[in-house]
Amino acid sequence: MPESAILETRGVSKKFDGFVAVSGVSYRLSEGEAAGIIGPNGAGKTTFFNLLTGMFPPTEGTVLFRGEDITRCPAHERVGRGVIRTFQLVSVFDQLSVRENLVLSVVRPGDGRNRKRGFFFSDAARPEISDACGEALALVGLEGKASRATSSLSYGDKRKLEIALALSLRPAVLLLDEPFAGLSDAEIGEVLELVHRVKASFSLVIIEHKISRIVDLVSRLSVMHEGKLIAEGDPKKVIEEPLVRQVYWGRA
Amino acid sequence: MIGTLIYGLTIGGILYIISIGLSLTFGTMRIVNFAHAFVYALGAYLLITAFRKMGLSFLAAAGFGVLAVLPVAYVIEAYVIRRLYGESLDYAIIATYAVLLIGVDLIKWVWGASPISLNDPIGKDVEILGVSLPVYRLVIITLAFVIYGGLYLFFRKTIVGKIVIAGLDDKDAVRSLGIDVDRYFSIVFLLGSGLAALGGVLYAPITSVHPYMGFQILLLCFAVVIVGGMGSLHGTFLSAFALGMVISLTGRFWGPAAETMVFVVMAVVLIFKPIDV
Repeated sequence: MPESAILETRGVSKKFDGFVAVSGVSYRLSEGEAAGIIGPNGAGKTTFFNLLTGMFPPTEGTVLFRGEDITRCPAHERVGRGVIRTFQLVSVFDQLSVRENLVLSVVRPGDGRNRKRGFFFSDAARPEISDACGEALALVGLEGKASRATSSLSYGDKRKLEIALALSLRPAVLLLDEPFAGLSDAEIGEVLELVHRVKASFSLVIIEHKISRIVDLVSRLSVMHEGKLIAEGDPKKVIEEPLVRQVYWGRA
Repeated sequence: MIGTLIYGLTIGGILYIISIGLSLTFGTMRIVNFAHAFVYALGAYLLITAFRKMGLSFLAAAGFGVLAVLPVAYVIEAYVIRRLYGESLDYAIIATYAVLLIGVDLIKWVWGASPISLNDPIGKDVEILGVSLPVYRLVIITLAFVIYGGLYLFFRKTIVGKIVIAGLDDKDAVRSLGIDVDRYFSIVFLLGSGLAALGGVLYAPITSVHPYMGFQILLLCFAVVIVGGMGSLHGTFLSAFALGMVISLTGRFWGPAAETMVFVVMAVVLIFKPIDV
């Protein structure tokens, strides 16, 4: 028995009106592992993430979390188990302030489970909630911008805020969907440094378009093409494989 | 002139109270909910039963009308609306329109088809600047403002409100924070349905209660929602009162055109501010 898998899929497929976005993917992520998924646009990477996070159910196949079948488990319950994601197009709430964004991930009305409980928004001023929000912002270097309107942040700062939201949910596995898309080189450096700094405390899957950025970050690389997993292994070796070179650069 | 103004504000208040649910349902669930008009009419009919048959005071009967509608709204939400999430807009229109038609027939079956009229429950007038005005209408206007303020506080000051606001913005992002966003949308749906019933209850003494009363008001409410911006809390408020004034002012000069003018205004707004669905 190899080391235990935190997240695993067995032959998952997703069809949309006859179009096969993901086709029979069996994937395995070990506890504590940092893995990358690359592939050309339209390869099915984001759809695969959506199957892992439960945004919609697969047409076929099963999704397992620590050995338990979560195929039909809705998205918000998977978050409760520690399956946390970010989006390719950064998803923060522009109508709220930076701190208020954090409050949404830290506070729950009613059934709180691991989260702080509160009904009125002013509860966010309570020290334990305010501290939790401040901590999460400090981790990504946004503590000075807590009271700013989120809409006034740069795209790079919004990405950091989104990662702060994800981290405040205490991920067991963090799924980052093209976290560097749309960022400047300086911002990419900052986010990359941030991911390096925190990745030891959870398992990580990162989707990326540019291979060079994540080769040092991940210990295993998977390549998707036309909804299928076509190669997997050590990052530096995988990108040398003829099939990968062909689908990725159009030449062997 | 003051009479016209107060009439416009009364209509505006009623339109606001009914439209807010329609607007929120569209904003949160992306569903055009024709069944809203059924809930509105049902509220008025339940008021009449409680007031006339059960002998409750108007206030208690009004409360009964609003509360008794909630289980019906819950059934509509759980068995019709929730199955339409993510489906195309046309399915939602067909399904909720069907609920409206069934609802209207149910009303005819239970209460009959002939119009019922109610007296002004307060029946007193006050004199303002030499014009005598029914107190009841002033109560409606005040209530509309109170509801607006209450909803503002709800959406600004409570976690549930913030979750709904965030959900209006990006539903999937809210789910990804581990929040069962659909459950909060259901709460908003029930809130909106209760308000629609309240609108029916409040309007009953002014107009006559008949099975098709929902159809009439629904078109006006759609105009309110379109002019105010779908899912916009402030926009719905402003547009309800603006269109209420359009009805009362047009009615003062040319009665038959009063409601038509609302749609002329809506068309003009659509020309300058097309909606992106």
